[in-house]
Amino acid sequence: MAAPEQDTGFGTGTSGVSRIRGTAFEAVCLAATSFALVTVLVLLLFVAADAFRPLSADPGWHLVYFLTLVVPVLGLAVYYYRLDAPAGEVAYSTTGIPVVGLLVAGGMLVVIVELISVIELFALTLATAVSAGVIVAHGRVRPQAALERLGVIVLAPTVAVFGLPPAEFNTVFNWLTTQLGLGPVLQTRITSLRELVMMVPVLPADWLLLLITLTVPVAGLFGLFMGRRRDSRRDGLALLGGTVVLAAAGFVLGPLVGIGAEAWILATSFTVPPLAFYVEGVVRREEGTAGLVFPVVAVVGVLLGAVLVRQLGFAAPDPWLDVGFLLSPTSRTPADAGIYPALVGSVMMMVVIIVATFPVGVGAAIYLEEYAPSTGLVGKFVTLIEINIGNLAGVPSVVYGLLALALFIRFINMPTGSVIVGALAVGLLILPIVIISAQEAIRAVPDSHRQASYGMGATKWQTTRNVVLPQAMPGILTGTILALGRAIGETAPLLMVGLAASVRLAPNGFFDLGAAMPRQIFSWSTELEPAFRHGVLAAGVVTLLAVLLLMNGTAIVIRNKYQRDS
Amino acid sequence: MTDEPTRTDGGTDQQPTAETAASPDPSSEPLVDSSIDVEGRDDTPSMATARSVIEAKHLDVYYDDVQALDDVSMEIPAKQVTAMIGPSGCGKSTFLRCINRMNDLIDAARVEGELFFEGKNVYDPDVDPVALRRQIGMVFQHPNPFPKSIYDNVAYGLRIQDDDDNLDEKVETALKRAALWDEVSDQLDKSALDLSGGQQQRLCIARAIAVDPDVILMDEPASALDPIATSKIEDLIEELAEDYTVVIVTHNMQQAARISDKTAVFLTGGELVEFGDTETIFENPESQRVEDYITGKFG
Repeated sequence: MAAPEQDTGFGTGTSGVSRIRGTAFEAVCLAATSFALVTVLVLLLFVAADAFRPLSADPGWHLVYFLTLVVPVLGLAVYYYRLDAPAGEVAYSTTGIPVVGLLVAGGMLVVIVELISVIELFALTLATAVSAGVIVAHGRVRPQAALERLGVIVLAPTVAVFGLPPAEFNTVFNWLTTQLGLGPVLQTRITSLRELVMMVPVLPADWLLLLITLTVPVAGLFGLFMGRRRDSRRDGLALLGGTVVLAAAGFVLGPLVGIGAEAWILATSFTVPPLAFYVEGVVRREEGTAGLVFPVVAVVGVLLGAVLVRQLGFAAPDPWLDVGFLLSPTSRTPADAGIYPALVGSVMMMVVIIVATFPVGVGAAIYLEEYAPSTGLVGKFVTLIEINIGNLAGVPSVVYGLLALALFIRFINMPTGSVIVGALAVGLLILPIVIISAQEAIRAVPDSHRQASYGMGATKWQTTRNVVLPQAMPGILTGTILALGRAIGETAPLLMVGLAASVRLAPNGFFDLGAAMPRQIFSWSTELEPAFRHGVLAAGVVTLLAVLLLMNGTAIVIRNKYQRDS
Repeated sequence: MTDEPTRTDGGTDQQPTAETAASPDPSSEPLVDSSIDVEGRDDTPSMATARSVIEAKHLDVYYDDVQALDDVSMEIPAKQVTAMIGPSGCGKSTFLRCINRMNDLIDAARVEGELFFEGKNVYDPDVDPVALRRQIGMVFQHPNPFPKSIYDNVAYGLRIQDDDDNLDEKVETALKRAALWDEVSDQLDKSALDLSGGQQQRLCIARAIAVDPDVILMDEPASALDPIATSKIEDLIEELAEDYTVVIVTHNMQQAARISDKTAVFLTGGELVEFGDTETIFENPESQRVEDYITGKFG
């Protein structure tokens, strides 16, 4: 590539040799990269073929879907790519928004089913909204009273959500006083609004509560945006009303199509408002409207294919990875085995890992880069710490499992095999990686920007907050994404802290017994029945990879947003 | 006190006249003479009465064991341009960074001696460098706007000082004072990095004066710019000197001669060799070393 630039017309022996060397090096690099990519691709194809078993279907089935779905979709894609790039963008977004919305809805459904009930969610939302309203109202009525405002900001949520004092505090305090021989001292407390709501004897049905707690706020938010953009309150209200009616129809329609009313409401609340908002923008700009055809073609293709396949009597493939696999627990028979508890457990662990490692890791990196002195005795100590963080990043994961076993289970007495212990064990493992990558990102911020900020009379924290962190954030997020990718696949620390091989029930809380996908996959690999090792295992691997890709995709979107803003 | 700045201003008015007289203007001959006379007569009293904002007394700076400034004592007068010239590594930038304690950010730097700002030793333990830097702004050698919008750059200092009232107005004033408003008024939310180098440097000056400091320190502000951008910056500096005390480090001796009222010459070893009126330094320096440096025999 660079060869023509180097050609100065004085071609001598040496420059010829070095040019050949350069070309050879380039070729070797290309070959190595291609080899690695092809190898991984072939492996993934094998795994995917095992998981989906496309060959178990009739050739006619493939032909029908090829004609109804693949050909039109590919044709449209080629058309957008060659002739109408903005429409391609629109097609991409209109297909992506419902998919993302459905994923969010699915996550929310799992939360409602496994973690907190609809009534709890309703009570929590109501209490939060009321306390927020009180704070805003106080700010309006008495804008000057700063100290009073602080009191309101602290008290309103406490009273509304936790009660005064919070129930847990009461329990601990009474336990202490009982230990001291005083008996339970705290007998009365102000019951929180949340608890009051949950005590009401007659509450509306779950689907109605869900409509109020989720559909109305989500649709209202998009309705607000829409109303502002179109400068018409009526259009915003139309979006809100339309969504609510559509969601409420789930009470009747949901059971008809075979899903619960709750699932219908969640699906509509998270897909309809953003999609309507986006489509309205596209139609108004009149740019790339041809892209709106794409999702319609895809949906029609799927429906048409389904009808044709049924009419012509072709057998559909019988994949290992299907809805049943995703929604059922593991079993002794391969056909019934599923990954649901492990999937929920892994996602919950991810949440704990992010919450636990991101602030600590980034905080440590900020301290080491911005605050820690580089000279003197403390400076030497800091250098020692930095070297050791580098070493810790290379410590085998089993050792971290052992550390977590000693620290969290033996010392702090957390329940063995619970979600939180597994997550913290893996969190310890990736913490050094998060710190190092965050340090690199912070170090890459030019010093002249810090100087400029200090020169303006900014404090260290203001400089870090306003200048360093915004610029370092894309790098920090990239490092964290890579670390999380490693975290979700870790198995050894989970074995050490006693995560069960398979759990029949998904965890209902962070201190419940949990399973994790890699652990579950590992236990399938030791099953005697070949169907487990060849089919169920592959389905599990594909699920794991899909979750990983989804997570990375989300993080990349967030990172790009940061990059655009700064 | 009210009288003294007025008299100093009178002196400042005279000096540019003397300098512009160097341009080919037939009527300039007598002006030069008279102004030199004026200098000769008024200088000693004005030196005595011109309020000095910054005063260094026996200032030494070390980086680890290397001495960067050697026993520097000087007084920098208010609302004038004071230039510091000298060869690379002579400590002029170090001195500049001592004034607003930017050297604190270098772990290895150690300062001995006293440096008074408005009569207060800035190296006293009770001085908060952050508060000090809010009164002494700084412009750096390479334009270093933040990767934010033009507006956010200028508003940065005001925001970190919680000075949020009339932000739009203050940003506009600062950009106008930095002679940048006409070029950017319709693109305030564009990224500052899209500006040209000279515009970026004027933006940095706008950012520094937005918080209305008393003193502006400039560390070779035009060394990374082309001649046209440089001349704009120089005009700007002369305007700024009406309201602010400007201390400028420069490699460019013509620049120092053009824009400054006082000149300090540092030579190798961090030694302040001569300090006085720019004209005296450039036309009739006391020290032979300074004369060698200025005439190009050395450095």
